[in-house]
Amino acid sequence: MPALLDRRLVVVTGKGGSGKSTISAAVALAAARRGKKVLVCEVVAKERVADFFGRPPSGTQIRELLPNLYSVHVRPRESMREYALMTLKYETLYRLAFENAAARYFLAAAPSLAEIVMLGKVFWHASREMERGRLRWDLVVLDAPATGHGLTFLSVPEVILKLVSEGPLARDMRLMQSVLADPARCSVCVVTLPEEMPANEAIYLDRALRQHQFPVGPLFLNGAFSSRFSAQELVSVTRGGPLLTASGEAADNHESRAALSGHYEGVLREAVPRELVKVPFLFERSFGAQAIEKVSRAIEGAL
Amino acid sequence: MRPLEGRKIICCVGSGGVGKTTTAAALALGAAMEGKRALVLTIDPARRLANSLGLKELGNAETRIDPAHFAEAKLSPRGEMWAMMLDLKRAWDELVRRDARTPAQAEAILGNKLYQSLSTAMAGSLEYIAMEKVYELYAGGRFDLIVLDTPPTSNALDFLHAPDRVLDVLDNDAMRLLLGPMLKAGRFGLRMLARPSGVALRTLARFTGSDFLRDLADFMVAFEGMYGGFKDRAAQVKKLLSSEKTAFVLVTSPNPLITQETLFFHQALEEAKIPTAAVVVNRVQRDPRRHGGPDNVPALKEALHLAQIKDSDRLAERLCETLTEQAILADLDRREIERLRATLNGVPLFIVPRLRRDVHDLAGLWQIDEYLGGE
Repeated sequence: MPALLDRRLVVVTGKGGSGKSTISAAVALAAARRGKKVLVCEVVAKERVADFFGRPPSGTQIRELLPNLYSVHVRPRESMREYALMTLKYETLYRLAFENAAARYFLAAAPSLAEIVMLGKVFWHASREMERGRLRWDLVVLDAPATGHGLTFLSVPEVILKLVSEGPLARDMRLMQSVLADPARCSVCVVTLPEEMPANEAIYLDRALRQHQFPVGPLFLNGAFSSRFSAQELVSVTRGGPLLTASGEAADNHESRAALSGHYEGVLREAVPRELVKVPFLFERSFGAQAIEKVSRAIEGAL
Repeated sequence: MRPLEGRKIICCVGSGGVGKTTTAAALALGAAMEGKRALVLTIDPARRLANSLGLKELGNAETRIDPAHFAEAKLSPRGEMWAMMLDLKRAWDELVRRDARTPAQAEAILGNKLYQSLSTAMAGSLEYIAMEKVYELYAGGRFDLIVLDTPPTSNALDFLHAPDRVLDVLDNDAMRLLLGPMLKAGRFGLRMLARPSGVALRTLARFTGSDFLRDLADFMVAFEGMYGGFKDRAAQVKKLLSSEKTAFVLVTSPNPLITQETLFFHQALEEAKIPTAAVVVNRVQRDPRRHGGPDNVPALKEALHLAQIKDSDRLAERLCETLTEQAILADLDRREIERLRATLNGVPLFIVPRLRRDVHDLAGLWQIDEYLGGE
């Protein structure tokens, strides 16, 4: 099995707020450092990765953030147009079919059409887009939607193929499916936090992803706390009198978070058969390139 | 919570992972303690919270929290606390069975290929069904208070607009016109003869295959006659939600991205002319420096010495580092709370500190209520 960064498409999903964009950016940065040309595709409503690197939003145009590191914001409307044009070839035909009231209805009713075209675009970058006779991107990192929606997103080809068996749509879905199911070319990673809901969600997500037979990538445990004080130290400091009240409370807070963190790490190791990669909690007053660099260094050994 | 007095429905709105379910449950518990019959309607609760509330084996029915659970937590409520977990698929099926004109129509819809994906995957479906349920429970009149834990949405008021979006999918004249020939064929059982006609339809069919269009036509035929009921109720739900009987509580946590979303929600509510009744900020880091005392290494060394604690393995340094880290977190949280306060002009803010343990029982919920009381 190739190393994570040697695949074509790395998908990052997990609970909302668990740091999917951070991990996506850090993975991409690690790949860029190894000399790979990387594109991060963001598909959720708000673009974030460019901002991590102090750059203006890329929007729907691919933009370079750092040498070898690019990002693009994949949005439904623009992707729909691109995809339909690619399939239908003629702009007039596109307008006729898609830009009328009935089609708008149809687009709302067709399950997951927005997802189809967005995934289609990501897929195109990952396995079709050429530059000087070779694939333009060594690696595409897909910062995917959170758990439930993420699953829906990735299962789109599977779902559509159940409904549609003929036509260009079915053909494209089969191609996407073949990449999404291939561990040599694709990997689906899960991001979580050492807290109850995110941990439960990661367990559920891991099972669902394996059921759908998506290639199993690492589980990133973001915001991990490690114990810093022995039980004895904690007792003596918290009983150390008024001068140590603040320190005692801080140490106690720290240890209770470390205990929770350790507990959920154990739960996850037990329940999720993936390589667990710990990402230490970062105490940063502002979250920017420096923080991404730190995260990227913390995880690169596992990539 | 005083801003919520006299309300019949509380909608807890917020991004995913901010403790919405816990806040909703705590609000219902608070009302039950005061003598109300309160129901919390939740979508996807943390397993341990669900278990402790006895929600484990629940499908789609309201269940009273066993008084034994209250006794365990040493609580004696004057009212009753009920909970219910919404099962999307079952709720839709029930709705179809209830509204269908004949059992045969219900079966035709439930058996349709597209119905499955539409009911569970259609945008706004969950929000719509949650609203339906709230209305049904409210109209039933069995509860003094219904607290809704809304599904985590990235779009502020998805669930307010959900009825429109769902209705638009179910009843659309343009599509009727387009699918006309196929609809008629469906009606007379001559599907085999029906082929997509018209340039637009043929182009769409090239895109999706004509199976899909046929399924869609079938679905529309099956659904016929049910729109009226949907529409009436959607209008009533909207009216109820914008009335004095309903309060919206924004639940948030002090994270810059979440604050952003919360302010966005607030703005969307304002635009819909719905006032935000209160904001609950969960998991706020308290600043250990509020106790005063030494916060640099030499002073900590001295304090350890005075307290006769051995400063081994750089204990003073570790304490100092920990204090600094938590001061950073507290500063960041404070900054977010100030941002909220500045923009929310006058909406009461309730601050719930980060607790030492996860909340997964009634005792934990009651601990939260302590911060949700008063103004």
